[in-house]
Amino acid sequence: MYYIVFGYDMENKTTQLRKGILELAILGCLSRGRHYGYSLVRTIAGQSDIDLTEGTIYPILGRLAKEGLVRSEWVESSQGPPRKYYTLTPKGEEAFHILDEEFRKLAAIVANSRIASAPDERDGGLGVIDVIKESNNG
Amino acid sequence: MANGFSGPVAQIVENYLERLKKGLKGIPAKDQEELVKEINSHIYESFRADPTPDEVARILRVLDKLGEPAAVIAARMPEAMVTLGKKRKLPFLILAGLLIAFFGVPIGLGGLSAAVGLIIGVLALIVSFYIVAFSLILTGWLSAVIMIVRIFSPGFLDPWIDIYPLVSDPTFNTVIYIVGALLISALGFGLLWLGSRMMRGIRFVFRFLFEKIKTWRQRRAAPSR
Repeated sequence: MYYIVFGYDMENKTTQLRKGILELAILGCLSRGRHYGYSLVRTIAGQSDIDLTEGTIYPILGRLAKEGLVRSEWVESSQGPPRKYYTLTPKGEEAFHILDEEFRKLAAIVANSRIASAPDERDGGLGVIDVIKESNNG
Repeated sequence: MANGFSGPVAQIVENYLERLKKGLKGIPAKDQEELVKEINSHIYESFRADPTPDEVARILRVLDKLGEPAAVIAARMPEAMVTLGKKRKLPFLILAGLLIAFFGVPIGLGGLSAAVGLIIGVLALIVSFYIVAFSLILTGWLSAVIMIVRIFSPGFLDPWIDIYPLVSDPTFNTVIYIVGALLISALGFGLLWLGSRMMRGIRFVFRFLFEKIKTWRQRRAAPSR
């Protein structure tokens, strides 16, 4: 529905929103342990039915590495080519906690604005992830 | 084949990685190689985890989930462009150019020093432009202040200042001169504004040139295999 109303621009907005949140999700996964690209995708996408273009995590990882938030190393795999493992740096750890806190606040704002504008929906406010899915299926 | 697959599957993967490489031409050779290696690893892991029995159908599914090479690169390219235009490089290059121009002008650096001369010329133009603008502002304000003082004490600075009477009423005459002085300083501010516009243009030209030089150098450093 969104696509019909807003056309390409809505798609662009959705992409922007997803990119930021995907970055936070990557940091979150890495804060719980080291990952290589494919295992990150599985961990993130495995928890939801969000339709993720797997390749998009690599530009994000590249940027995070450049900003010094993650560190990477090649590790030989028992099977097949070596894997590039990513870990959070102390700086990345700190950044994740700040961003995570910020995200909680922002998600609360979105939830509150829904309650304020639609008193009937007081019980079933949608989370940001639901909003993404909705606009994606839309 | 080198990508860890065999038969038609290897061919398909190779084709994908080739297209990826083509899209990565603008970035340093080392980063290119590293990313291709990483994507190859991703394809391998994804292929191993997928349960589709037919191998060709499976690899196509894997690549479809991964997305077009453009998705892997997309956000990286503009970022590379942005880095090329970083401001801090400009002063550094000018400084290096100046050092070369002053201390080492043997044959072969002639072209470079000519370029440096050009840069210095442009800088001199910019500096003189701003000097003109500031002196106009200063002149305007000073004259206005002097004229205002002269309204209240008519003989102020008299031996040095000789004012041509445009109208017979001396007060009205002074007011006309004040307006004139303010107009001059307004002209100065106009030049300043124009200058900021001009600087933006010059900065753009320099950034554009550096970007071109850099991509050209990278292309030479990393010939496509």
